[in-house]
Amino acid sequence: MDNYLGKNMMPVENAVTNLVPQISIKNLNFYYGKDIALKNINLDIFKGRVTSFIGPSGCGKSTLLRAINRMYDLYPGQRAEGEISIDGKNILAKGVDTIELRAKVGMVFQKPTPFPMSIYDNIAFGVRMHEKLSRMQMDDRVEWALTKAALWDEVKDKLKQPGTGLSGGQQQRLCIARGVAVKPHVLLLDEPTSALDPISTMRIEELIHELKQEFTIAIVTHNMQQAARVSDFTAYMYLGELVEFGKTDDVFIKPQDKRTEDYITGRMG
Amino acid sequence: MNESTHVSKQFDEDLFGLRTHVLEMGGLVESQIRAAVGAYASGETGVVKDIVESDHRVNAYEKIIDDETVTVIAKRQPTASDLRLVMGITKIVTDLERIGDEAKKIAKGARRVHEHGLPSLPRAADVRHVAEEAVTMLRDSLDCFARLDASKAAAVIHADAKVDSEFKATVRQLITYMMEDPRTISTALDIIWICRSIERIGDHAKNVAEHVIYIAEGRDIRHTGKEA
Repeated sequence: MDNYLGKNMMPVENAVTNLVPQISIKNLNFYYGKDIALKNINLDIFKGRVTSFIGPSGCGKSTLLRAINRMYDLYPGQRAEGEISIDGKNILAKGVDTIELRAKVGMVFQKPTPFPMSIYDNIAFGVRMHEKLSRMQMDDRVEWALTKAALWDEVKDKLKQPGTGLSGGQQQRLCIARGVAVKPHVLLLDEPTSALDPISTMRIEELIHELKQEFTIAIVTHNMQQAARVSDFTAYMYLGELVEFGKTDDVFIKPQDKRTEDYITGRMG
Repeated sequence: MNESTHVSKQFDEDLFGLRTHVLEMGGLVESQIRAAVGAYASGETGVVKDIVESDHRVNAYEKIIDDETVTVIAKRQPTASDLRLVMGITKIVTDLERIGDEAKKIAKGARRVHEHGLPSLPRAADVRHVAEEAVTMLRDSLDCFARLDASKAAAVIHADAKVDSEFKATVRQLITYMMEDPRTISTALDIIWICRSIERIGDHAKNVAEHVIYIAEGRDIRHTGKEA
């Protein structure tokens, strides 16, 4: 493009020069007991960008996402080898405070999982674990988080009602608000819209676009068009390996690897 | 280009149908040019009417293919090589339709030249050679499209320079005749228009070849000054 448009006319930022890795994954292997699920993954996830992970079921994309906030710690027999540095600190090292880590690296799952408590407390719960806020400060934080998650206008008059009473799409935005409330650096989204209707999905996608101004986002999705729409970078994984990683536009128009091409064009049996 | 099949057989059939229609449309415009150039060379201008009328068929192909393209995009959201194929086809079709228009212009020009009588313009005005080059370019570009052969497409792009220079040479010669004998001006101008159409066909065939390179390799070589 540079050949045709003068520099001043370039509407697209030069994505290559502004990239700062927030998460650096080096030589990562992951095991479920004896089975290897991730093989020597090397990847940078860039600050303030959305990175999507695509690939067939069982390719390791969710495993990779769960390694980034050590969700696997909760399950015996699962272990990671290698290095995942977030802001320069290896979070796989011994002695890392996983509570603090998960505040910094929020996660939203496939099915909305509101806590069985009020909308307000769904947001406040996590914040109370990490910060001591006055009542007023907490009110502000809840409003801020719900506003960030584009839910405030819909729930501001019923904050005391149970979070489980919201629609599926609203519940998912509540979960995003909950993740955002503790002011994380990174948001991990594991198929956040696969249980939602198309309009709710569009809302979440719009939200992702808003949120990337402030957070680094990694999203696992089975919806390839969603990956194409929301992400700046796309990683294609297959059988525990990172097959291809690149700018989303390149991956969806001219993938380098035949396996990526076969997957995204629907040629994989 | 990815020749393996989709999980969705229907998608394969959609794309196959699209490609087939493009090739049929290409075959049709190729035969139009041949007929038009033949009419000019032989003076048998009876076919001109047929050529002009067959332009409707070319236009119909354009609409059908555009329609099929829109449907494929809406239903399948093609990506990667499929996306490049579909987008490339929309552009190729535009070039083919314009080639059809040029064939029509050649046919009508041929009729004018022969109706006014060729006032002893020598064989320099024989456009058959340059026309043959242009038709070969078109046929080769369609052949490249059928096989998604980027290296042959590059050869088509190179061939355009030859058509361009032959066009200029013919114009120079005709100018000489016009200066020598102003009575030739009217016919010579008609012949120049015919040559101009042939030269444009070369340009469109070159465009088709460029689209084929994009489809096959994802490289956009238009306007780069690079000849693949």
